[in-house]
Parts: sequence; C-alpha cells; structure tokens
Amino acid sequence: MGSSQHGAKLLVGVILIGMTALAVAESRQEYHFKVHRHASVTINNQYGPVSVKAGPAKRVSVIAILKSDKVEVDKNQNGNRVVLKSHLLDGADANTGRVEYEVLVPADANIRLNSTSGPLHAENLRGDVVIEGNNAIVDVRESTDGHVHVRTLNGPVTLTDVRNGHVEITSLSGDVVLTSVSGPFVNVNSSSGKIRYDGDFGDGGEYSLTSHSGDIEAMAPAYASIDVTARSVQGQVDNEFPLQPEHTSFTMKAGSAFAGTINKAASSVKLFSFSGKIHLKKKTK
Amino acid sequence: MNCTEFERALADIIDDESCRTVEHHQHIETCSTCESLVDDLNAISEEARFLEREAEPSARVWNFIEIALRQEGLIRGPQSVIAVSKQKKGWWRSVWLVPAAAALLIVFGVRYEHTAPKALLQNVPLAANDVASSDDDQQLLQTVQQRSPAMLASYQANLRDVNAYVHDAQESAKRNPNDEEAQQYLMNAYEEKAMVYEMAMDRPLQ
Repeated sequence: MGSSQHGAKLLVGVILIGMTALAVAESRQEYHFKVHRHASVTINNQYGPVSVKAGPAKRVSVIAILKSDKVEVDKNQNGNRVVLKSHLLDGADANTGRVEYEVLVPADANIRLNSTSGPLHAENLRGDVVIEGNNAIVDVRESTDGHVHVRTLNGPVTLTDVRNGHVEITSLSGDVVLTSVSGPFVNVNSSSGKIRYDGDFGDGGEYSLTSHSGDIEAMAPAYASIDVTARSVQGQVDNEFPLQPEHTSFTMKAGSAFAGTINKAASSVKLFSFSGKIHLKKKTK
Repeated sequence: MNCTEFERALADIIDDESCRTVEHHQHIETCSTCESLVDDLNAISEEARFLEREAEPSARVWNFIEIALRQEGLIRGPQSVIAVSKQKKGWWRSVWLVPAAAALLIVFGVRYEHTAPKALLQNVPLAANDVASSDDDQQLLQTVQQRSPAMLASYQANLRDVNAYVHDAQESAKRNPNDEEAQQYLMNAYEEKAMVYEMAMDRPLQ
C-alpha cells in the first residue's frame, strides 16, 4: 500500500511538473501599433491560427500566444506598414513552433496572411485581404469593397458575405465554398477541389468558376439575372433554370454544355470543368 | 510634282482637302495611280468610321498578327503590340496596317495556328498522370525532399494533380485553337502549376 501511494504521488508530481514546464514555456505577448488610414498588415505564421478582425481605427492590436521558447515573434513597423513574422528557432517543429495570433486592425486596413498550417480567418474588413496557405483552412467573412485573393494548395476555402470587391481564389485540391459572394469580378480556379457557390451573382459582375476534375455546384435564386455558360469536357452538366438560348462560339453538346440567359442577364457566369460535373440549381424558398 | 513627292505629302493632305495645293490637284488629275490611291484611302476612311468599338479584335488577335509579321521579318524592334492609331492626323498609316495585317493573317494564319500553339505547348510537354514530367518538376521534388522529406508525398500528389490539369488543358487547347475559353482554361492550368512551384520555393518546409 505504501509503495502504491508513493507511486501515485510520484506520478501526480511528474504530471504537475510537466504542466508547469509547458505553462512556463508558453507565453503571451501583446503588441500595439499606431497606424493611419489604409494601413498594411502582414503576418507570416508557419504554424498556428491567425484571426484578423476589424477593430478600432488607427490602431493594430496583436495578441500572440507562443507555444514554446523555440519560436519568437519578429515585429516591424515602417510608417503605415506592420509586419509580424513567427521566427522558428533551432529545433522547432509544428508543435513547439506554433503561435496563435489574434489581431484587431482598422476596418480599412489591407492584410496579408501567410501560413503553412493555419487556420486563417479574416472578418468584417473593408480593405484588401490576401491569404496564402499550403494546407491552411481559410475563412473570410463579411468583407466589403476590398479585394480578396486566396491561394492554397490543399486547404479548404470558405467565403461568406463578401461583396463589392474582386475575388480570386486559386486552390489545388481544397474545396471552395462561396456563400453570398458577389462583386465585379469573382474568379475561382481549382484543380481537383470542389467548387460550391450559393448566391445571386449580384448585378453586373463577371463570375468564372473553373475546375479540372472537381465538381461545380452553383445555387441561385429564381430572380438571379445572369448570362450563363457551362461546359464540361468529360463530365455531366445539368441545369434547373429555364434558359433563353443564346448563340455560342463552341459546339453545344447536350449533357456536356448549356448556355443561355436568365432574366436580364446582368452578370456573366462561366462554369467550366474538364471532368467534373456541373450543376446549376435553382434555390427554393 | 512626281508620285514620290505626292506620296510624301499624302499624310498631310488626305485628311484635310483644304491643305491640297494646286500641284496636288494637278497631279491627282494627271496620275491615275495616285488618284486611285487617294480614292482607296478615302473609302477606307469612310468605312472605318462605321466600325464599332466592339468589332475591334481582342489583344490576342493583334499578338498573333505581330508574331506572324515578325516571323516574316516584316517588323522588328521592341514594340509588343501593333496598335491602330486613334489619332486623327496620320490615321491612314495605321489603317493601312489593318488590311495588310488581315491579308497576312489569312495567308499565314493557318500555318501559325498549326505551329505556334504547338511551339508554345512544347515548352511543357506532359503526359497524363505524370508526377514529375520535366526537369523542373524533378528539381522541385528534390528540393522538397532535401528541405522536408515529410512534405515530399504531398508535393508529389500536388504535382500529379496539376500536371494532369495542364495535360488535359493542353489537349483541349490543341483540339480547339480558336476557342478562347480553352485557351483561358490552359492559362488557369499553368497558373495552378506556378502556384505549386511558388508555394514550394517561397515557404520554408517543415
């Protein structure tokens, strides 16, 4: 009995020491930068999440939680440009090199986020948003007027309530989901990732959803006003809207292509896949 | 006034008849060749006014024309695009280019469409489902392997995907050289491949 009690106490002691060691190694740092209108904020964080939201004007506030002492944050401000970089020290890996960023920026700031693992989140911004990630989950919400550019190899991309800006997404195998996204120019290019669009295609924009082998699904309400062309070389295409036919420069093969206008054809929509399926659905209330 | 002198002055007098001197009028009346030239230019000028903006060929067409003319040695120098001048003065010089370029395009266009797309596409010859189809791909994978062996499998899969994309896009563009959307599709494929390279080279891999 005595030896088992001693063993239990020893085990608890080891656990407590381990947790303390981790707590000591993990550190929280805060930075604040004064900026003017249309500040530029760049964050390079190889491992760990980055979340950027709109905050007070003229100020960039950063909370960085460093998971170990094998990573440090290099910070630099030149005028209206702020750059934060997670600097991995010798021996750092995906766990010990992890930094979690929570950032508040002025709504009109232009932000650039680079990460291997992410996830990367941007919300309620009016400036340009440029995001690059290998496998990072990318989530952009409630962005208005700014351009949104996302490049990812394998991470899924979600855009929600993004309006009035240019949207360009290039994804290799990550799925791309656009919900209530509209603007003068929306371009999604995917190799094997699926593309899903749920919105009304706005008024007067150009939308291009292109995939090599991923399926493309576009869902729009009955009042959508679009000039749509859909083609798949090897896949099946189908459509739930009654289309006013229009002349095309390519040969229309039933089941592989359709083209026509809906209502006043305010926006141009091109859906193109090599071997994926294309489906244009009408939203039911 | 002889024909050479008349042609030299033509740029100044073709737009504005009030600039024509008695010598110019006399030469036109006595020289049927120059009279025909003036009539042709006036006719082109009239027709050009009715050309709508939408009828202007796309930049790609002008590039094709330029490449064809360069191949024939008819143009040299650093200019990248033949532009139809929009200035009123001397407009006829540029307008002459339009029918001349169109004629060249008709004569050489078929040959160009057969050779140039192949020439462009031969830079990246790909077979379907190749992981590393070129020396550049091999080098990229070697770099990835040296820097981070754990990422090698992921980049192999990425390259396999994107090479299949490029291959299918090349085939589609070859089959449909006049299809702008097929050409755009090919550009999209190249963009994807460029992204794979940039991501592998720009970012530290661990």
